[in-house]
Amino acid sequence: MALYAQLFLNTVQIGSVYMLFSLGLTIIFGVMRVVNFAHGELFAAAALLVAALVPAATAHLGVPIVISYALSIVAAMVAVSLLGAVLYQFGFRLYLRDMTGSFILSLGFLLLLQGVLVEIFTGVPRVVPPISEETMVFLGGRVTVQRLVTCAAALVLATSVIGLIKYTNLGMALRAVSEDYEAAMLQGIKYGRIAFVGFLVGVNLAAAAGCLIAPLFTVTPFMGADYLVRAFIIVIIGGLGSISGTVLASFVVALLDTLGGFYFDPTTTTIAMFALVMLLLVLRPQGLMGRSD
Amino acid sequence: MKWQNSALAAVLLAVGLAAAPQIGIAAETLKLGLSLPLSGNGSTWGLGMKWAAEAAAKQINSGGGIKADGKIYTLEVLAYDNKYNTADGTKVAQTLFSRDNVDFVVGVMGTGPTQALQAIAERRDKLIFTTAWGRNVKGPEHPLTFTQAHTSSESMPELFGYIKKEHPNAKTVALINPNDATGKAVEADARAFWSKIGMNVVMSDFFERDTTAFQSVATKIVQAKPDIVDASSGPPDIAGQIFKELRTQGWKGIQVIAAGGSAATLTKTAGEAADGTYMGLVVDFASPAATETQRRLNGEAEKVLGEPLNPVHVSTWDATMALKAGIEKANSLDPKKVADALRTVVFESSYGPAAFGGAETYGIAEQILVPVTVAAVRNGKIVELARVKPKELEERLKVKQ
Repeated sequence: MALYAQLFLNTVQIGSVYMLFSLGLTIIFGVMRVVNFAHGELFAAAALLVAALVPAATAHLGVPIVISYALSIVAAMVAVSLLGAVLYQFGFRLYLRDMTGSFILSLGFLLLLQGVLVEIFTGVPRVVPPISEETMVFLGGRVTVQRLVTCAAALVLATSVIGLIKYTNLGMALRAVSEDYEAAMLQGIKYGRIAFVGFLVGVNLAAAAGCLIAPLFTVTPFMGADYLVRAFIIVIIGGLGSISGTVLASFVVALLDTLGGFYFDPTTTTIAMFALVMLLLVLRPQGLMGRSD
Repeated sequence: MKWQNSALAAVLLAVGLAAAPQIGIAAETLKLGLSLPLSGNGSTWGLGMKWAAEAAAKQINSGGGIKADGKIYTLEVLAYDNKYNTADGTKVAQTLFSRDNVDFVVGVMGTGPTQALQAIAERRDKLIFTTAWGRNVKGPEHPLTFTQAHTSSESMPELFGYIKKEHPNAKTVALINPNDATGKAVEADARAFWSKIGMNVVMSDFFERDTTAFQSVATKIVQAKPDIVDASSGPPDIAGQIFKELRTQGWKGIQVIAAGGSAATLTKTAGEAADGTYMGLVVDFASPAATETQRRLNGEAEKVLGEPLNPVHVSTWDATMALKAGIEKANSLDPKKVADALRTVVFESSYGPAAFGGAETYGIAEQILVPVTVAAVRNGKIVELARVKPKELEERLKVKQ
């Protein structure tokens, strides 16, 4: 029982971060019809800012680490949002619904941002001091309180975004342009404005994921690559642009990661995931919950 | 017009005479290459190696450079990021040998990047110093490759033997390594050396170097119930994450990093979970047992790198000093002649007098001979538990005397 509880806890921990990261990617795709390869760098930028600011705030402001962490999250979210706004205004805005153009553009942004992050933060792995090292036992499985809080925060954040998309006017507009942007424009929805808001929502989800995992793992400018590969697998399995599909696929991939890592090894798991994606693309190209156009 | 020509000739003669001695003693530049992980996992090693090579070059240059064949050479260090993988190591090899025309590489990290360098170096007769633990990078078929730090054959018998003596009840071990040429090579050696002292390897797993979540790996290890977990060639920041995760999941056993390298990085990543970890390839360079050079370098490294010096860092200092001795003994910059000289020369390393040997193990003298240490983390600090001088080095020093 303890083993299954541990595997369950591992899945929830991994899946909640995948979910946040992938939701951002799928929202951007849904609204703008662009695949943002620079998504991982925005995630890494937020994590690096938190890793740099937490020790600095603790030392210079003399506040407890929880406060430093909270302040650092606010600063990182603002900074990454501004960065996202710049990327949109000077890049993505010009390539809305242009898959080829946005593909090349976002690859360029990926390389540019990675270079800038290495230049500013160096490539040396950074560690955020732990906020809590207490461990909790659940049915024999063990998890740190910090990880549990991170999972809870990720779930709350994801639920809020889903709520925003389902129950608010803004969310309705996002869904409308995602389904048929020309029809949405005929209804008076300003597509450019909604695309910008959708892009910022996606960027903020990546930044939030980065901020949340910064105290859990070592942080480097390259950390986004691993998550980006997983996120692409998730959005393809879930269905490009499908919010509920992304949530479901995040935990499916996390479960595969957990079971594959435990019963086989991480490399075999990754190969198995790509095989699954290929199979799915043949049998159900629109993904588990995507629409077939 | 005649007097004008004479004056011009006199001026040219004067300039020529004034410049001649300068030209005669002007030092030429000798470029030294480095192929290191300067970003990502392993950069804690790479950045320190770069710093130590530059410090050695600075000391040699300020001491008058390297003298060979009637010329004086000052050193210039060129370091490139191999990101600890073969693909980037290949790019670095092309840059060093095809663009920079480097003849001597005083530091490579990673078995894959070393093999990438060898692929070009061996066709063009370039000399390489490497820290790679892969056994297949050494041997008579690689006569221009020298190992600048201890590898598994030197480090593991001492380290594992010490642990077995301290923990006689330990019977089982789990191995965890990166899924690349270095990891595969070290895993095979670790498996062989643990088995040799009667330990049962109950599991062995590999991870990709860009992995960030180690929960599943930790769960697998916990279920295998090993007495010892050896994160063999895992970079200290990754080993730290694995040990931390193991502690979270309730495993409390003996932790080992055979190719330890940096206790400071391990402690920073693992926190309290680092405590008690046995490490090979770690030396307390601030202790009285260290040489004066090592204590000085350690002090400078702490200021520049923000962490104490470790044997991986200092290996480029030692390689640069060995190269100086080799070139001066050969009285030539021909890498083949320098390699021959390196097999017999006794040079002043950071550890004191050192040499290259290991012909009995590798079939050719290519392995640096410096003291082997066993260390452990105690309350966040590294403590040296044993220090053994290689017998072959002692014999070489006796012969020299």
